[in-house]
Amino acid sequence: MRELPSNQLDPRIKNVWRINDAIWIAVVFLCCFVPFGIATLVEPEPWLLMVLAGIAIAFAVLLILFVVVLPPIRYMRWRYELSPEYLDIARGIVWRKRFIIPFIRVQNTDTKQGPIMRAFGLSSVTVSTAAGAHEIPGLDVAAADELRDRAAELARLAREDV
Amino acid sequence: MAENNSKRAFGGSAAEPPAAPVQPAPVRSAAAPTAAPAPAPVAAPAASVRSAAAPTAAPAPVQPPALAQPAPAPAGEEPRQHVHHSYIWLGGLRAGVAVLFAIAVSAFSSIASLISGIQRATAGVDFGFGVFVAIAVAAGGFVAVMAVIFLIHWLAYRNLWYQLGPEEFNLYSGVISKKRVHVPYQRIQSVDQKATLLQRVFGVCTVSIDTAGGANNKAVIVPYLAKQQAEVLRAGLFARKQWLAAGGDPAAFPAQAVAAAMPVARPVPGAPAAPGAQPAYPAAAGAYPAAAAAPQAPGAQPGNVLDMPAGVWDDVGGLFAGTAVDTGRVTYEYGLTNKELLLTGFSNNTAFVVVIVAIMGAVGQFADVLFDLIPGSGDAAVDAVVSAASGPAAGGLAAVIFAAFIGGSLVLWLLSALGSCLSYGGFHARRRDDRIEVERGLLQHQFQGVSIDRVQSVIIKQGFVRRLMGCCEVSLGKIDAMAEGDSNQNSVNQGVLVIHPFVKTSRVPDILTGLVPEFSGLPTDAHRVAPVALRRGLIRRCLWQGSGFWLAVVVLICQVGLHLLIATEAPEEAWALPYLDGGCLVGYLFALVLLVVDAVGTVLWFRESSFAVNERFMQVSNGGISRETVSFPRQKIQFGTTKTNPFQRLARTATLSARTAAGVGGTTIRLIDVGEEDARAWLAWLKPGGNVLQ
Repeated sequence: MRELPSNQLDPRIKNVWRINDAIWIAVVFLCCFVPFGIATLVEPEPWLLMVLAGIAIAFAVLLILFVVVLPPIRYMRWRYELSPEYLDIARGIVWRKRFIIPFIRVQNTDTKQGPIMRAFGLSSVTVSTAAGAHEIPGLDVAAADELRDRAAELARLAREDV
Repeated sequence: MAENNSKRAFGGSAAEPPAAPVQPAPVRSAAAPTAAPAPAPVAAPAASVRSAAAPTAAPAPVQPPALAQPAPAPAGEEPRQHVHHSYIWLGGLRAGVAVLFAIAVSAFSSIASLISGIQRATAGVDFGFGVFVAIAVAAGGFVAVMAVIFLIHWLAYRNLWYQLGPEEFNLYSGVISKKRVHVPYQRIQSVDQKATLLQRVFGVCTVSIDTAGGANNKAVIVPYLAKQQAEVLRAGLFARKQWLAAGGDPAAFPAQAVAAAMPVARPVPGAPAAPGAQPAYPAAAGAYPAAAAAPQAPGAQPGNVLDMPAGVWDDVGGLFAGTAVDTGRVTYEYGLTNKELLLTGFSNNTAFVVVIVAIMGAVGQFADVLFDLIPGSGDAAVDAVVSAASGPAAGGLAAVIFAAFIGGSLVLWLLSALGSCLSYGGFHARRRDDRIEVERGLLQHQFQGVSIDRVQSVIIKQGFVRRLMGCCEVSLGKIDAMAEGDSNQNSVNQGVLVIHPFVKTSRVPDILTGLVPEFSGLPTDAHRVAPVALRRGLIRRCLWQGSGFWLAVVVLICQVGLHLLIATEAPEEAWALPYLDGGCLVGYLFALVLLVVDAVGTVLWFRESSFAVNERFMQVSNGGISRETVSFPRQKIQFGTTKTNPFQRLARTATLSARTAAGVGGTTIRLIDVGEEDARAWLAWLKPGGNVLQ
């Protein structure tokens, strides 16, 4: 495909992803593991142990995948570019997508900060059009504010019609 | 944008003959009469009246306006406008019937026991007296329930009104908890009317005002408005919207601007089938009655059988309709011919035919099984019947049953076709100023009006039947809002306004130039899908998504599984194996047919699929057994995406998706397997300014 957009996300986003995914995986893991664990304690049977082992292995694999393998690739593939007139996003590992969002179609922009992101000093910007929204997950707080302001200004200049 | 709009509003586009200056309403009577063959697009500011009896031919002198329709009140504090009083009794009646029906259904048994209890209690007295008491109690209950319902409706009616404020439309409702809905005029997408049969009889309708659309923005429903009131409301809303869009001062909205602020629609030179556009109608005479009552204008296309009753409806209007209001000048209008109407009716229920065929197949199978099983039943009588049935008379009996079934389903199908015809009866699509209006339905009337600014795309669809006949369905993509409490909207037609259900493909350009001249100059240099798309398409459609392939797989699994089961578990049932294989063979044949259909569809898809762009438009065609071409302005593309999966990267193709705001929450128009270079060029075109560089 064409040359990729120039900007990358803030490198700290990798850690945000890692923590986020690790928490989710841990929660799901506990939900699966605890009932079987209790059952094993009450009545130890070989097949229960097998199940427990399977869950633990799956947990480990997922953890490695989402904490070690995926974040750098995701980070590599996530690119965006802010031209004065449009937002260009390229992302996706297997299904690679390329979005062109003219700012004059943008209806509103939001910045959002979860607790993890706040800890890293990051912020995510959501750009909404009349037919769907796009999120740029990891931006420096200052960059996010700038992007939001620019989009808002261009959206104001846009035609009223949808 | 303001420049553009004000230009349109005050008539000075270069393509038009000089428009008459905007005139205030009172001078109206002098403006029109003898202008018969005059240059058509006089601004017609004054046309706020329709004299009820104007079905006569056009050049006749215009009747002096009998009663001037008061234009919506001047700016400032707007008066409260209540809905029609039929809200109380018609709405009450409807709610009452529904409530009573619900009560009757849910409490049937208890009512029955109550009655019998009363009978028992009064058994000593008299049987007739018991019945009398029961009836009296029931009648009393009925009256009480109805009284409560009418009271509620009366209260609700007292607390339901709307105002056309300087900048927004307000709808107030609620008896105890008050509710006020604001709709800024600028955000109004479309104003639709709907009327059930009963409502039509009384000349009232339900108006729904669509705003920005999307799942979060429900349409605002104003129930039970008299026809006239609804039309005044509609005209007022659109006029105010235009006034604001043209940069008018909200406080200084002139009353006559309802008529005057509407732009002069562009004249359509090459519009042969436009009775409304004929200069024969003096501009100020109110094109509405002329067009509505006389669709058979000389030289226009012939109407259809159902136009007459529809015209009668329009003339009679219903009990409280009031005199019709002219809401603008019609520049283009058409209905359906007899043939088109019939074909619409008959082709719109192909699904029904498929169902019937499927049922027939199932019944046939079932009968086969039945006749197989019966000989073993050992019942003498059955045996006799069966032997009779399998004898020479059997053919007769089966044939009778079969014929009865066929006949019955044919009648059903005809009825459904007739219903479909009726629902398209009185179909009219017209261009009025900058709005497109479509009305249809002989019994349940439907009126949809959408501003041209809000039209997202033009969709030309050819199903299998239409394709065989060289016809197509033309519709407009528009933004839809979920209507409040209206769950029976079929999702298929969401976001789509059908402007012609069945039209010869050759007539489509005429219709489009007449109805949506904004969509002229569509791109022609089509970029076909990449050559490799055929191979990829065959694999995708015949294998991954191929119904035939997967059916064959399922049948195979069943066959093998059953064979294994019988061989291992129940060898004595081996007699069934030939039947099983026979059934599977049928399955395979069916799968083969599906596969062939898929393959043919894919080849057609490959040959006909393309996209084209030019400065202002993009057009995407997706071929196949049924074909769809979507054209949309570049301005309406919210964002565009190209997407590739690893196989596509290997084959150097990409999938294009352009997203518009049509429908609820947006519509994606997709084209799979465009060549890489084309996709790149398209992305460049999509960037602001990218269309000029080309």
